Amino acid sequence: MNTLMKRDLYVALAFLAALLVLPLFIGHSRYLLSVLMNCAGLSVVAFGVWLTFTIGRINICQAGFALIGGYTTAILLSRYGLSFWLALPLSAVVSAAIGALIGSFILKLRGIYFSMLTISLTEAIRLSFLNGGEFTQGSKGITGLPQPFAGDSPLPMYYLAVVLLALGLLVTWRVHYSRLGRIFRAMRLNEDLAESFGTNVWRYRVTAFAIACALGGVGGSYFAVFTQSVYPQSFTVEHSIYYMLFCFLGGLEFVSGAIVGAFALTILFELLSQFQQYQTLVYGVLMISVILLLPNGLMAVRSARIEGPSGRRTPSRPAPDSARAEATENPTTGSSS
Amino acid sequence: MSTAILEARNVTKRFGGLTANEDVNLVLSGAAGQVVSVIGPNGAGKSTFFKMLSGFLRPSSGSVLLHGQDITGMPPHRIARLGLVRTFQETTIFPDLTAMEHVSLAHQLHREASDLDVVLGTSRARGDEKRLSASAADILELMELSSVADVAARHLPQGLLRLLGIAMGLATRPQVLLLGEPYAGLNPEETNRAVSITRKIAASGVSVLLVEHDMKAVMAISDRVHVLYFGKKIAEGTPEEIRNDPKVIEAYLGQEDEELGL
Amino acid sequence: MLQVLINGAVLGAVYALIALGLTMVFSIMRVVNFAHGQMYMLGGFVVYYLYGQYGLPFYVALPAAGVVLAVVGVAFNHFFFQPVLATATREENSMLMAVGTALLLENLALTFFGEKQRGVPSVMDGALIFGDVAEGGIVLTHSNALVAALAVLAIVGLLSFVQFTRPGRALRAVAQDKEAARLQGVDVKATTTLGFAIGAALAGLAGGLLVTTYGVNAGMGTNITTKAFIMIMVGGAGVTKGAIVGGVLLGFAEAIGYDLLPGSVTYLMIFIAMIVFLVFKPNGMFGKPWG
Repeated sequence: MNTLMKRDLYVALAFLAALLVLPLFIGHSRYLLSVLMNCAGLSVVAFGVWLTFTIGRINICQAGFALIGGYTTAILLSRYGLSFWLALPLSAVVSAAIGALIGSFILKLRGIYFSMLTISLTEAIRLSFLNGGEFTQGSKGITGLPQPFAGDSPLPMYYLAVVLLALGLLVTWRVHYSRLGRIFRAMRLNEDLAESFGTNVWRYRVTAFAIACALGGVGGSYFAVFTQSVYPQSFTVEHSIYYMLFCFLGGLEFVSGAIVGAFALTILFELLSQFQQYQTLVYGVLMISVILLLPNGLMAVRSARIEGPSGRRTPSRPAPDSARAEATENPTTGSSS
Repeated sequence: MSTAILEARNVTKRFGGLTANEDVNLVLSGAAGQVVSVIGPNGAGKSTFFKMLSGFLRPSSGSVLLHGQDITGMPPHRIARLGLVRTFQETTIFPDLTAMEHVSLAHQLHREASDLDVVLGTSRARGDEKRLSASAADILELMELSSVADVAARHLPQGLLRLLGIAMGLATRPQVLLLGEPYAGLNPEETNRAVSITRKIAASGVSVLLVEHDMKAVMAISDRVHVLYFGKKIAEGTPEEIRNDPKVIEAYLGQEDEELGL
Repeated sequence: MLQVLINGAVLGAVYALIALGLTMVFSIMRVVNFAHGQMYMLGGFVVYYLYGQYGLPFYVALPAAGVVLAVVGVAFNHFFFQPVLATATREENSMLMAVGTALLLENLALTFFGEKQRGVPSVMDGALIFGDVAEGGIVLTHSNALVAALAVLAIVGLLSFVQFTRPGRALRAVAQDKEAARLQGVDVKATTTLGFAIGAALAGLAGGLLVTTYGVNAGMGTNITTKAFIMIMVGGAGVTKGAIVGGVLLGFAEAIGYDLLPGSVTYLMIFIAMIVFLVFKPNGMFGKPWG
């Protein structure tokens, strides 16, 4: 395991450990616990966006799939009286299936075209639920959803969030740091080359996207029972954009970047509440500052200093010192991104 | 009469008003392990032809058959799975990955573990990785690349990158290997090395199809040579026949600053 | 139906303006200005305050909207985009910055203007009426006619500028090939700044124009940006023709849709149609492939 992967692992484990023990110290504060629950749920959703980055697509439709997951759970709970423990995996499956279907058509688009399309998709999904008639109850949304745990304590829901976070982390980790993840990276770096030795690029893209959407669905399902409601505007284009920001600002080279981004930005926003009506403004300013100062995200801070301002891409492995001089111009043709 | 290993029938490619290939026929038959070269001046349509054979371009008309099976227009990954693999003319690589990782990845077609196995990290997946790594190491040794196995590709010089490209092709265990200008830009020593490696590959039973400009190498290594000129095939035969073919000589003389070496 | 088409035409003219602004920035900087909708919104607010609140004439307030946004564009380019583009490790970083600026503008607006929907008094009273309104005649308010006329004027002005003036030709050169333009002696930096300024100004003008019909509120930015994206996805990013066609098409689609279908279904249909269209023509009608 190289240094970067180790860093990734330590950060991930640190978060999990912290989340597990924090209730000992802050368990009395419903507010603090709910902030953390929020962050954990957002992390799960963000993992999906993070995974899509690894196949070279900027995913701005994750809110749509969170909404699909949320509504699936809400409908299964309220209309069919299913248990949450069935609804949750089913929501993941439904999101994955719809994601696979739509993805099989749109993943061939790249770059900004893909991203703009996913924004439209988020809106289209929202509008679909808004106009879903009796089934989705339109703008009223579906409310009064039963909580999966009896009793008044927030702790069960809290630990559910932590478990889901761990699950999302595990899935994303295993996909990324396995041969599958290496194939994703190969496809992203040079699609033609990957095809030439037998990689069915289309199938792998759809697979990655389906897993990503499943993660979105799980997150949405959690939020549905967390807030005990779901509305068409529960997850909007703005949310999609935030999930993307979490990944960017957390760090795209590290799986735990999704967690770091989700927690950092959400907690930051809460901390700024002392600014009252200027809260959002300060948030916006800070966001821009981070983008300017930490182009590779929070996780890459130390690497950024090593690379310096020369603007070189942060490699997934540090370049060996004994490397030969770059004798060639190294034209890497074939599609990129 | 046994089926040809590879056959191109009247393959034509038009890009709008430009005809890159017209009615090109090529038959690779007989024993496996032959080396066949496709030569021609610049712009003759050689790489377009190769792209059509390997699925990266769809012919405007005509067909391509691999062991008698029509593979015309199939996507590259399917054709690779059927046994025809193309290496790239440019030094196409994954910049951040090491040579070993390149070749290991290229074993995609010969895994026993499914993707689910891989994600779950089952013992089948782990066994696979061991097996494929060993195979990759063997291929690197065949290609004389063992010393740079752990160097990131972005740091490798062009000569080694070409060999790496071929190594990746070999990882697919092809029956037919299409090499795109494998000797371009190599010095004589590197060329000799590459030629002898090509011979080793052919000797192992892989039929090799080459596009090349380096005439000395082509003449030295080919069992058969096909000549393209302005998209059409103008000659075919043994190196000796081609060397003396007046049509071929004229085609090359007609071009400016062409490396003759005939 | 004719009424609907007239409405569509008015809308289409202004939408084309929005699309042109977005496409201008994209063709010059290869960045999609996520803040485009917020710039539109700001333009609306400039007109709201200058014309609606302080009583300045409309023909002063509207250009002011353009100018204010041009300044914002120059500032954003200088302080935010150029630093990012200079150290671009991934091309997505500039998109990230675009998103950041959108966030900043929106939060600025929400903080200082509040969430309320605002409107302005009619610019010109009266209307053109053709036929008997009660029996399907059509109404075109003078206000809307003026808006459409001004939008068309702006578009023509822009196209002429790009076609016939030196800075305009520089813009086209940079859009086509930055390095080649530089070698030809074009001041790429200044031209880029100009491009962004114009793009932002067009968004501001559009906002200033449509505030007369639809009003403005601080949160409308994302909605407008989404529409702008539809226009250039369908028309083709970075291509002038595409922007105009995309804008006009969306204007008509929206007008017709709202007439025939219940409110929110219209855009659902538009999105679905667009997604299907893009599956077949991924670069839009006139666009070039990305990257």
